Amino acid sequence: MEMKKVYVVDDDESVCRALKILLGTFDFQVETFNSSRNFFDTVSADTPGCLLLDVNMPGLDGWATQKIILASGSGRPVIFISAVRQADGVARALEVGAVGFLQKPVDGQTLVDLIDGLPGISQAVLE
Amino acid sequence: MIKKSVGKVKPGKKSLLNKITRQSLEDQVRQKTDELNVKQGQLQLGADREKIAEEQIHIRTKAMEAAADGIFIIEARNQAFLVVYANPSFYKITGYMKGDIIGKDYFLLYGPDFDQRVSHEIRKTLEQGKIFYGEMLSFKKNGEKFWCFLRISPVRDENGIVTHYVGIKTDTTLIKQRDMEIAEQREELLHVTRVGKLAEFVSSLAHEISQPLTAILSYAQAGQRLLVDREPQLHEILQFIISDDQRACEVIRRLRTLLKKTKPSLEPLDINILIRDTVLLIMPHITARNKVLVFNLAEDIPLTEGDRIQLQQVILNLISNSLEAMDERSDSRQLTLRTFLQDANSIMVEVTDSGCGIPEESLSKLFSHFFTSKLDGLGMGLSISRSIVEAHGGLLDARNNSGPGATFYFTLPVSGKDL
Repeated sequence: MEMKKVYVVDDDESVCRALKILLGTFDFQVETFNSSRNFFDTVSADTPGCLLLDVNMPGLDGWATQKIILASGSGRPVIFISAVRQADGVARALEVGAVGFLQKPVDGQTLVDLIDGLPGISQAVLE
Repeated sequence: MIKKSVGKVKPGKKSLLNKITRQSLEDQVRQKTDELNVKQGQLQLGADREKIAEEQIHIRTKAMEAAADGIFIIEARNQAFLVVYANPSFYKITGYMKGDIIGKDYFLLYGPDFDQRVSHEIRKTLEQGKIFYGEMLSFKKNGEKFWCFLRISPVRDENGIVTHYVGIKTDTTLIKQRDMEIAEQREELLHVTRVGKLAEFVSSLAHEISQPLTAILSYAQAGQRLLVDREPQLHEILQFIISDDQRACEVIRRLRTLLKKTKPSLEPLDINILIRDTVLLIMPHITARNKVLVFNLAEDIPLTEGDRIQLQQVILNLISNSLEAMDERSDSRQLTLRTFLQDANSIMVEVTDSGCGIPEESLSKLFSHFFTSKLDGLGMGLSISRSIVEAHGGLLDARNNSGPGATFYFTLPVSGKDL
């Protein structure tokens, strides 16, 4: 069965687990990481799959992580999820090359619609 | 007496008598001469003493005339307290002239705007023979207000009766103004700090709470999807969970908007002056702990742009933390404040203490929200300090010294504007 791949990077264990379960019900295959470092150490830039990226994390925060991804040229689609309210979040996200910015708590359907709407998402498919 | 006895003597015994008489004459002369000498000595002594006394009076008078404080003397004989003397400083302080004061009732000097309770208090104290001292708002001849510290003491004669009063009036307007300014600044800083602390606390709380709220929403929604077309009651229950979760999120959202961080209001600042002003506010804490503050502020530092109150909070926070670090050790007393131009665009501010230093494992957590929650009145969390510095376009960090203690340092951008 074809499954769409999603990566989640969030320092909160609960959020990771919940998103994994929720997206699982939408038939996504989700892999979660507690830090960007762990993510970069595990997933190579040429492995496809969109990334749900928490903004506020110790160490490399969301913005810094996106900078690295952009620089890597992998073209990985990134959706920011943020616990902290940011008025210009969407604009800022688009500016740095991300495809979206969602405020926590994230509504499942909204998230899935965003992921599904991504160009090339059908290519992020596990063999 | 001598003539008589000489006249009755016979010629034969004349020479003997002459000898005896001459002897007693000489003795008497010697005696009288001695007495005269003593008297002269006494007179001279008296004159010398008088001269010294005069000189002393002269010097004392000159001293009173030259004193920087206002000095005045009131005669206590009648019910009215009449001024009999005032020195030049008194005239200067009160704005009155000789003709206005000498021979007039002292209490008239206060003018109609003066607080009657105070003059009543002064009168009562003096009538009881006690010393009056107090600080009060007074009025010059031209109506101008000034703060003064007044002390009036009774002057007694040999019988202990009060004959006069001597008063000293010190103009404390400038000191008072400075004290009030400092008190105001402290108040404002405390207020902003309290609000800042509360906002920071709520912000952290909101952040922490929204994580499980997010998870709950996702779990409930996942549950609903798994139960689609089955178990309608469970489905409904999950829906309730979702809507209550959303209600909680709404509360958080409203809390956040309520305590939004104020953007810094920028003005050109001289960081050295700001540091010195801030130190004035915390100086009592420093001296109370017996610590020594060393300034190493570079002279030609360019201006930076910033929010004065916010940057003061940062400096206070760093100094306050350093003082606490040095509390443990009585031998560490030096706290150094240093500023210098790091490069063309940034100013560096360093606060160095000789205290207990920062444990290695704490270094990375130092600036996070929940690392310390000391409710010291003047300081704020390092996390707030860091946000403030970053909002100004700078960076705040800490390192341990090669010797004892640690250094907290932050940068501020050089102002682009010329003044």
